[in-house]
Amino acid sequence: MEPSKDQLLWMYAAMAKARHYEDTMARAYMEGKTPKFDIGAGLVPGEMHLAAGQEPCAAGVCVHLRAGDTVTATHRPHHVAIAKGVDLNRMTAEIYGRRDGLAGGRGGHMHLFDPAVNFACSGIIGESAGPATGAALAARLQGSDAVAVAYLGDGAANQGAFHEALNLASLWRLPVVFVIEDNAWGISVPKSRSTAVPDNSVRARGYDMPGVHVADNDTLAVFDAAGEAVARARRGEGPTLIEVQTYRYYGHFQGDPEVYRPKDEVARLKARDPIDRLRGHMLDNAGVTEAEADEALTRVRAEVDAAFEFARQSGEPAPEDALEHVFA
Amino acid sequence: MSRNRVLTGSRAMVEAIAQEMRVDPTVFVMGEDVGPYGGIFSSTTGLLDEFGEERVRDTPISETAFIGAGVGAAMAGMRPIVELMFVDFFGVCMDAIYNLAAKNTYFSGGNSKVPMVLMTATGGGYSDAGQHSQTLHATFAHLPGMKVVAPSNAYDAKGLMTSAIRDDAPVLYMFHKGLQGLAWMAAPEGASTEVPEDPYAIPFGEARVVREGGDVTIVAISMTVHHALAAAEALAKDGVDAEVIDLRSLVPLDREAVLASVRKTGRLVVADEDYRSFGLTAEIIASVAETDPGLLKSAPRRVACPDIPIPYSRPMERFALPDAEKIRAAVQQTLNRAVA
Amino acid sequence: MADVRIPEGLWDADITPEGVVANWLYRDGSEVDAGETVAEIMVEKATMEITAPAAGRLAITVAKDGVVRPGTVIGRIDEQ
Repeated sequence: MEPSKDQLLWMYAAMAKARHYEDTMARAYMEGKTPKFDIGAGLVPGEMHLAAGQEPCAAGVCVHLRAGDTVTATHRPHHVAIAKGVDLNRMTAEIYGRRDGLAGGRGGHMHLFDPAVNFACSGIIGESAGPATGAALAARLQGSDAVAVAYLGDGAANQGAFHEALNLASLWRLPVVFVIEDNAWGISVPKSRSTAVPDNSVRARGYDMPGVHVADNDTLAVFDAAGEAVARARRGEGPTLIEVQTYRYYGHFQGDPEVYRPKDEVARLKARDPIDRLRGHMLDNAGVTEAEADEALTRVRAEVDAAFEFARQSGEPAPEDALEHVFA
Repeated sequence: MSRNRVLTGSRAMVEAIAQEMRVDPTVFVMGEDVGPYGGIFSSTTGLLDEFGEERVRDTPISETAFIGAGVGAAMAGMRPIVELMFVDFFGVCMDAIYNLAAKNTYFSGGNSKVPMVLMTATGGGYSDAGQHSQTLHATFAHLPGMKVVAPSNAYDAKGLMTSAIRDDAPVLYMFHKGLQGLAWMAAPEGASTEVPEDPYAIPFGEARVVREGGDVTIVAISMTVHHALAAAEALAKDGVDAEVIDLRSLVPLDREAVLASVRKTGRLVVADEDYRSFGLTAEIIASVAETDPGLLKSAPRRVACPDIPIPYSRPMERFALPDAEKIRAAVQQTLNRAVA
Repeated sequence: MADVRIPEGLWDADITPEGVVANWLYRDGSEVDAGETVAEIMVEKATMEITAPAAGRLAITVAKDGVVRPGTVIGRIDEQ
């Protein structure tokens, strides 16, 4: 499956937007945390898991989705939220813990919900799989051709929730796609020391569904695999498991001393940066001009900068607002 | 001339584990990131270097499997120390904890034992939101068959860990992240303490009076001990002499220490970072009321997290979690005084 | 008298000029042994240990949370 020029530009813009978002967030997060790094201090407190490097998983899948399709993401959700079209201003305000956030500051970075585009995420490993399966079941019961996508890290493929959801989705032939973002690390533990198989896509066989492995963080290969999986789901032919070999440029969380990681790993990964590679492909093979690519870059960076400004300007919630919205 | 060695909570835990591992080959450690990383909250720093990969085992993110394996290994003659990284993650593995670890001794008529330590990080206060900030003392203390401890300082962290490892029952060892003395997370002044270098054990079920006073009893545990002490200092300036009790363990619970104090003061405030309803605060007050409601000169008060998921945003989280000022206000209420 | 000094080159000060004393592991005035870890320094995200250069009585000169650089003397050991 070959992406059109529009699809290429869409993916490029989504990836550049996500990258600029994470790099901006990394700087904002450190405000008020130097020279003493205190995780609870500063402009943006709490844990912060950034996804720079993992953009192909977001853009290459979400380019095939509609607003009515559901995405459930992980504790590292920003790139996927951006690609799914989550309101960027309100998402950023949420991460800043502000009044205008998606949840008025109740959820924060690991708990982003935007029902307008059917996006949700969770800080618990593996807990994207069940809800996506349920969204797919709802689509079936409602007679819709909507699909659902569950994002998981490679570490989550060792959780019971993942395996149980795969079985259920296959048993009921539900329109769901499971996307494993294999960034090689479960916090400090390398995949080779946590996972009995080198490639999680082989686990699909155990649940009688197609399993696809995408190597080398290749956006076009993600596009191809996800396009087929989403089309198959929409046709009512059941779930697919895709594992994407991707990269994680930042630590597991901001503040991670990364004592476990080879010193040169990130530099080596950045030499194969997926955004640069996609841009090269667009210019060389797809008739995209430098001006078109630059225009996309300028536009998305301005959107990101505006979102951070929106968040900065948004007020703090009132303390007693904490008592609201426990029940619907 | 004296050696006044001060340890952080995490270093005290590690020292207890290492000392037991040196003398007891059945003790081993497993959990997520307990190897080269040394535990996300530094509960296993350096253990891999000393004891090697066989006895300090990084696990996959598979809590049902490795906590279940801890139960099985314990029943087969080992003394596993298993880490559940955040207590909030119990949702994916509770069956192994409360249906296996907690019940196997009873269902075997005492013929099997499960000498496993499950150590887990609790607490909020740094904007990590409600999937990573809960305390959940009562969730575990409510279920029979497990001992549950929660140290407030490094001295207790070492002594309670030593006891936990040597105990033949499953012990849930709940350490508050904000008491670990982590370089990257603020901790109250009193969390790091002088810690003897030789091994020692602190018996379970013995509360400690950390501040003596005659006007009101403040019962606390884990992080709220520090809030209670700060409140007591502030109250002293108002002319109120508060007694502060650190429970140190929930199961067994030292009800007698609470009663002895309330007999003296006649007033009671209970502070716990866990949720308010159906929790430790209610249990303590019920224990006093059941024994002799006449002991209390005024209505008891509790300071706990309101019954809401712990919010992310700083002003809302501060609203939700106990602190010294809330305890002080509660004490003033037991004295029937308006808060200044 | 021996200085408890943060070693030059413990971290790259061109990238991160300053760190902080995260914890002292002995009280001011305590006896310490040579080579024992006496303090933890935090630089950006990483924690590093500082050891006693000699045995003797520790005098803390930079308290917890104090800002330090490579080469900063954070305490002294009185060898008597």
